[in-house]
This record gives sequence, C-alpha cells and structure tokens, in this order.
Amino acid sequence: MQLLIHPADEVPIYRQIMRQITEGIAVGRLKAGEKLPSHRDLSEQLVIAPLTVKKAYDELELLGFIETQRGRGTFVCARLPRPDPVHQMEEVRDTARKLLAQAYLAGLRYPGVLQVLEQADRALSAPASEEEKV
Amino acid sequence: MTPILEFRDIERSFKRNVPVLNGVSFAMQAGEVAALLGRNGAGKTTLIRIAMGMLHPYAGSVRVFGASLTEDPVAIKRRIGYVAEDQVLPPSSRIAELIALHRYLFPRWDGALESQLLDRFALSPASRIKHLSKGQARQVALLCAVCHRPELLLLDEPAGGLDPAARREFLETSIQLLNREGTAILFSSHHMGDVERLGGRVILLDEGKVRLDEDLDCLREGVCVAMVPRTSAADAAVLERVPGCLRVRPVFDDWHAVFRGEPDAVQATLAAALGVNGICCARVPLEELFIEMVGGNRGEAV
Repeated sequence: MQLLIHPADEVPIYRQIMRQITEGIAVGRLKAGEKLPSHRDLSEQLVIAPLTVKKAYDELELLGFIETQRGRGTFVCARLPRPDPVHQMEEVRDTARKLLAQAYLAGLRYPGVLQVLEQADRALSAPASEEEKV
Repeated sequence: MTPILEFRDIERSFKRNVPVLNGVSFAMQAGEVAALLGRNGAGKTTLIRIAMGMLHPYAGSVRVFGASLTEDPVAIKRRIGYVAEDQVLPPSSRIAELIALHRYLFPRWDGALESQLLDRFALSPASRIKHLSKGQARQVALLCAVCHRPELLLLDEPAGGLDPAARREFLETSIQLLNREGTAILFSSHHMGDVERLGGRVILLDEGKVRLDEDLDCLREGVCVAMVPRTSAADAAVLERVPGCLRVRPVFDDWHAVFRGEPDAVQATLAAALGVNGICCARVPLEELFIEMVGGNRGEAV
C-alpha cells in the first residue's frame, strides 16, 4: 500500500500515517496478517525521520491494529479491535457536517452530494488494482 | 547520560550592547535530531559556529561529547560533521582532491559511503568546484561532512537556495544517516516542510533566547492559535495574563494569541477570562506557528 504524506498539513506526519493505515485496514486494502514495511524502509521511502514511523506504529499497536513480532516485523493484527461505536459515530457525524458544508460552498445540492458519495463508495470497494502496482 | 552537545547560558554579541545570544541553554543527547529555528539574525549561525569552536562565547560554556572545545579540538572535530551556511570550497580544486584531503584528516573515512553518495548525487570526481552548480557544491560539502560517519552533524541551513529536488536528495541522505548511523543532527532551516520531515525537537531562538524547546509533534498538537477580536480584549497584556499564553500580536482587527492546550480547552479558558464565547481557536501548521511566534505586528496604524 502506498502512503502519501503532506508536511504542511494541520495533522502531524505520524497521525497522517496512522490515519492512512487504519483507513487501509477499514477498506480492506490492508489485510489481516499482512506485513508492513519496517521503520527504516518506510522512513526512507517517505523521506521522514525513523522515529516518526516508530511513533505511528507504536500508537497503532497500542490501539490494537498492528502487532510487532520480534525478529519478524510488523503485521496487521489478525483480530482487529472492536470499534468504539459511540465515539466512531460522533466522528462520522462530524465529518458529514464538514463534507456538507464544503459541498454547499462548492455549489452542490444534496442530491449532488449523494452522487459524490456513491462514486466514492464504488472507488473504495473496487479491487485496489492500479494503486497497488506502484 | 552525558549530552553530546550542551550549551549553558551562552552570550555573544557583535556590536556592543546588542546581544545576539543572551543566555541560550539546551542540551542534545546522542542520536537526537533538533531543528534550530528563528528569524534571520536570530543567532542560529552564531550558535552553530560556537558549537564548532569557530567563535567563542562572551559568557557561558559549550561542551561537545562532554569536553570543552579547547581541551582537544582535533579529537572532537573528528567526531563532528559540519556544513556551513555559506560553505566556501576551494574553487580550483577537483572534487577528488577535496575528498583526498578529508580522507587524510579523518581516519574513520568510509569509502563505501563516499562512492554511494558520489553516485547518488551524480558527481564526477574530476570536476572542479568552480564548475559546479550551487546545488552540486552543497552536495560536495555534505559528502565531506558525513563520510567520516560523525556522531554529531551540524547543518547550517543545509538546503538554503537549493531547488526542491536537490533539497529532497539532501533530506534523503540525512535520513539515511539517521537510520544507519544514529547520528545526532542539529540543523537550522527556514523550510518548515524539511523540519516536519526530519522531526525531533524544535528549538526556536528569538531575541537572543530560546523561546520554545519542544518535541515537534507535542508542539503541533499541544499548541493552538486564538483569534480574539480587539473589541474583546483592551490590550495585549489582558491576553498575556491568561494562563498558557505564549505570545500575542495584533493582526488587523484581531489579536492573534498562541496558547498551550487543546483548541476546545483554550476556547473555554478564554470564555472564562474575557467573558466572550466562541472565540476561534485552531491548531496551525508549523509555518503559521513560526509566524505567530516571531512575526511582527500587522495592520497597525503607522
């Protein structure tokens, strides 16, 4: 899976990595048991400090998404943590409000937003073919 | 653990009564990365030159690897790599001659790393320095600074004036060193994107002192900027008295105040202190934070 980071983002780089890995797991682009790149490889690939990668991995491990097997590497957990439904719904609602605000600013109406959502859903559930080739 | 680099109450001026550094103290441990930030003239170069023993502080002390720079300067400098802001390399020398000189000066010179970097930077050893582009000259300077595998790397605006691709190559090399050698790096930079990538600690110099010294991520997540309408606070002092306030400056019709804490918590603190609800508080990217911390007043009647 390719990760993309933006240093000028409001979110620190380690959080960007965390977000992309959890999103990758959520949409099935990262499978349970799949091996993640080492701290060193990911740090050189993304041109960021190795400690930043370690921080992202450590946090994800604490949250139960990935696990480090000594001497073997870091893997996506076979049993993923049960999401906290209340907290997650709150986040989804919040994101929805932001999405609608942005869409209305861009001149879209509600049916238009629904169309965008359907397209996004198709893109997410399509087999990750082209991106994987990188 | 003995710090690898330690500044204690450093004072230095160039003009009488105009201190550039006025009591700067901090220490770095082995393998640590720290970005030295500050406006032009804030004293970043002066501090780095003091660490190299090229300038003496008027007061205070500097210790490198636990020793004073005057005790055994040669032994210490063999363990440091340094790239100056305006590195002047001998113009008529060939790259190969410069490398031979460094190899002679540094017994720990790593020939494999040298060929790897020559390769990566696509430098031809037969080229003369004066025929190189600015970016290539910087690359030669970096190569000379890192091939003896220093424990401490001092980089004074290493990527200043380089194009984005050359800057990225420079970063790649630094990150490779971090990974393979665990080199401690103190670097000054005006490129906040580079600071974000190298991570570690952020040390902000302002008016001769260390204004901030904090882990980059803690700074990014633990500090926010509040935009307070000037009608809500009579003057800057009112805001400066609010707990957690780091700096206030006027920006047109608002005060911009940097606060320690989560945006929601700061909003609540401000509501309690000023009796005004809904003050906009937000986390900001490093570049904006830098400007809020050291930028001047804006929109003031002249």
